[in-house]
Amino acid sequence: MTIYTTHIQHRQDTQSFGKKVLKVLGKQKALVAIAVILIAMLFSSTNIFTLSHLRAFLLVASPELVIAFGVTFAVICRACDLSVGSVMSLSGIIAVQMINSGVPVFLAVLMAILSGSVIGFINGFLIVKQKTEAFIITLGMGLLLHGVALYISNGRPVSTRDPIFNAISNTNIPIPVIGYLPSIVVWMLLVGVITFCILRYTSFGRNCYALGGDYEVAEHSGINVVGTKWTAFVITGTCAAIAGVLLSSRFNTGSAVFGELTPLIVNCSVVIGGTSFAGGIGGIVQSGLGVLVMHMLRYGLSMFSIEGAFVSINQFVQTLVIGIVIVSIIAMDCYAIKRKKEDV
Amino acid sequence: MENSDIILSMTDVNKSFPGVKALTDASIEVRKGTVHAVVGENGAGKSTLMKILSGVHTKDSGTIIFDGETIEHTTPIQSIRRGLSIIYQEFNLVNTLTVGENIFLGRFREMKGLRNSHKKARELLDSIGSTINTHSLVGDLSAAEKQMIEITKALAFDSKLIIMDEPSSSLTADELKQLFVIIDDLRKKGVTMIYISHKLDEIFQLCDTVTVMRDGIIVDTKPIDELTRNDMIAMMIGREIENEWPERPRCAGEVILEVQNLRTKKLKNISFTLKKGEILGFVGLVGAGRTEIVKAIYGADRVKNLKEKDLKQTEHGESNKTKMPDNDIVNTKKAKKLKSGKRMLINGKLVKTRNPRQGIHAGIGLLPEDRKLEGLVLQFSVKENIVMSSLNKISKFGFLDASREKDIADKQIKALSIKTPSPNTKTVTLSGGNQQKCIMGRWLEINPDILILDEPTRGIDVGTKYEIYLLIKKIAENGGSVIMISSELPEVLAMSNRVLTICDGEITGEFDPEVASAHEIMDAAIGGGEND
Repeated sequence: MTIYTTHIQHRQDTQSFGKKVLKVLGKQKALVAIAVILIAMLFSSTNIFTLSHLRAFLLVASPELVIAFGVTFAVICRACDLSVGSVMSLSGIIAVQMINSGVPVFLAVLMAILSGSVIGFINGFLIVKQKTEAFIITLGMGLLLHGVALYISNGRPVSTRDPIFNAISNTNIPIPVIGYLPSIVVWMLLVGVITFCILRYTSFGRNCYALGGDYEVAEHSGINVVGTKWTAFVITGTCAAIAGVLLSSRFNTGSAVFGELTPLIVNCSVVIGGTSFAGGIGGIVQSGLGVLVMHMLRYGLSMFSIEGAFVSINQFVQTLVIGIVIVSIIAMDCYAIKRKKEDV
Repeated sequence: MENSDIILSMTDVNKSFPGVKALTDASIEVRKGTVHAVVGENGAGKSTLMKILSGVHTKDSGTIIFDGETIEHTTPIQSIRRGLSIIYQEFNLVNTLTVGENIFLGRFREMKGLRNSHKKARELLDSIGSTINTHSLVGDLSAAEKQMIEITKALAFDSKLIIMDEPSSSLTADELKQLFVIIDDLRKKGVTMIYISHKLDEIFQLCDTVTVMRDGIIVDTKPIDELTRNDMIAMMIGREIENEWPERPRCAGEVILEVQNLRTKKLKNISFTLKKGEILGFVGLVGAGRTEIVKAIYGADRVKNLKEKDLKQTEHGESNKTKMPDNDIVNTKKAKKLKSGKRMLINGKLVKTRNPRQGIHAGIGLLPEDRKLEGLVLQFSVKENIVMSSLNKISKFGFLDASREKDIADKQIKALSIKTPSPNTKTVTLSGGNQQKCIMGRWLEINPDILILDEPTRGIDVGTKYEIYLLIKKIAENGGSVIMISSELPEVLAMSNRVLTICDGEITGEFDPEVASAHEIMDAAIGGGEND
């Protein structure tokens, strides 16, 4: 019987170096992409390696990061959520409208966030209980909510002058060493840490991985599959609503046109980060990296479009480049899954 | 003159996968018109050898001569066209296409149209004595019929050599007999076959020559008459095992589980009891309803809550056949509802299990039939798989206690002697037996009163099988009750205290395996008793 033990250890120890590197790269595609983009940026005219650039960068990326943290739950449960964009814009509008009609800021924000939880709950009901396809249901839900947002805002951006609401995202919080961070970034980090802990250290998080990895097995092992997946959607909706509040607070405005492309970009980013659509693989950190890649691409490419850059890239080519990157990264992901299956 | 007799010869074939030497200097000669068995434990290299032959893998070194032709590089389709077909355990058929279309898949032009394909398929099916309609969908066929289609498909390519990988694993005894007839027939027609199987009885019944493999090495090739069963087992595992089964435990106590009138779409009025410390064997053909019974008890399958009128209908339909005396619960409304679904008493208390979670809560554990489909999350580590069902035990306010998690995993790995480099190794990389032990570990950690084992030793090598038997015995001795389902009759007979035979969704008999003969039991399981 000792034969087996040595046999297995042998297999793990002697993986060729090239294969090891490939394996790590396969897992951390996002890191590779970030490195490549950073190196490419050295050739742009502006020096982006400054604190203020970093702050601005994180500031812009924060709402999408918060959404991505939430979407990670859905994707790990082998589903996706395409309604997050509309949830985000709707929650912003709800918050602003309520404040304008005299509701205390605290209550308005709470209601806005709860609206996201409720939508997540409904999504969960339809997907888990009624066993509909997550992709199509959340897409439809997104359209529906976009309609609601347009209706209650009359199709116009709604704004508020409330200073407290404004302060949610726009306060500068002093942090040693790097000076200060905009509060929206701090909120983002807070949501990130909480979701990270939930996914990593709780039995709920573990169950998410289990049912995403194999729904049947999870069910047979006595895991509350329905409740777990349902809760995952509630978390996704809640995170999207939080992002909506943060975004509206940053601009003092809620608008139905916010986040029209967001769901696609976020779901893409999550997969780019390494949280696979096949379910059961990935995590908050990976998703965060995925969103950063997307933002860096956009940010970096816009650097190159400025006059006088070392290499100048036509503005219209930018979208093309982003598309190429998405397609190639996802193709790599699928290739990795294919290889994994062949290994089994 | 010898050469013309040999259809396939492989000499010093080597194959390595990253980090593993799968085959070392494998040499094998297969004579024309024989059935050549290849046996060995899991991971002995049988599959690798066959996959090299069929072109799925490429050999590192060595020579292969097939039908007088040296084969260097080959692809699956080239091998098939050369006359070398392989039938895998998991069938390679398109379920949504018809039988005829499957047999000539991708060759309709060659066959001059679909109509001709069907015609030719009919002829081929007739030639092996099958009456399957070529226009029926493959998805509607049974496993045995699918197997026949696979064989026909191989014949359609004029195969000279057909390799069968564990063909019997999904067949019932009757279907197996039929398969043997077909194989025998083909042998007479001069078709050569390589037969890979775990089941030694089949090999003695069917094959002419046996090649035994172990750890990527070919131990020996011998004519079947020169080998005994024990020799073969000894060669497979490299040592003699004295017992194939441990002595059965005998400590049955009071009744712990009582199932009354369990009904689903497939099951009719299943009633039985299980005692404390007892091993109860379920014997029946595949598809007789064994798995359905335990799944219904565990809660994995929804018990059909028949509506009032459906109930009347079924009662009416069955009334001339079986009438279960259940006067005590006939009248009240609640009782009617229970009667329609199931009535299950654990320790004398009425228990409902609508999902596995409630099943576990009620003290039932189920080791599923298909460990990859229902048992393991393959990308999870050994540790994660073991603690999967007992997360609430190791978490406080929902947060997992990593050290307790590790303790539990270590404990079970040690108790079950799971061969794994570390608790964090992914279960995908383990052998079948060790994967099974991981699921066993999961259940031992919960320690249910009633543990149901559905085919606990399927696809597991001989050495590990014995370890699992010992485990089962230990569970029973410690007061746990075990329901054991197995397609291997000797195994059930040797292990259980009591055997129930199941046929066509009904319990057809109850036997004491120490008294009853295997023949009697099989007879009841086939349902032959009623017809005579």
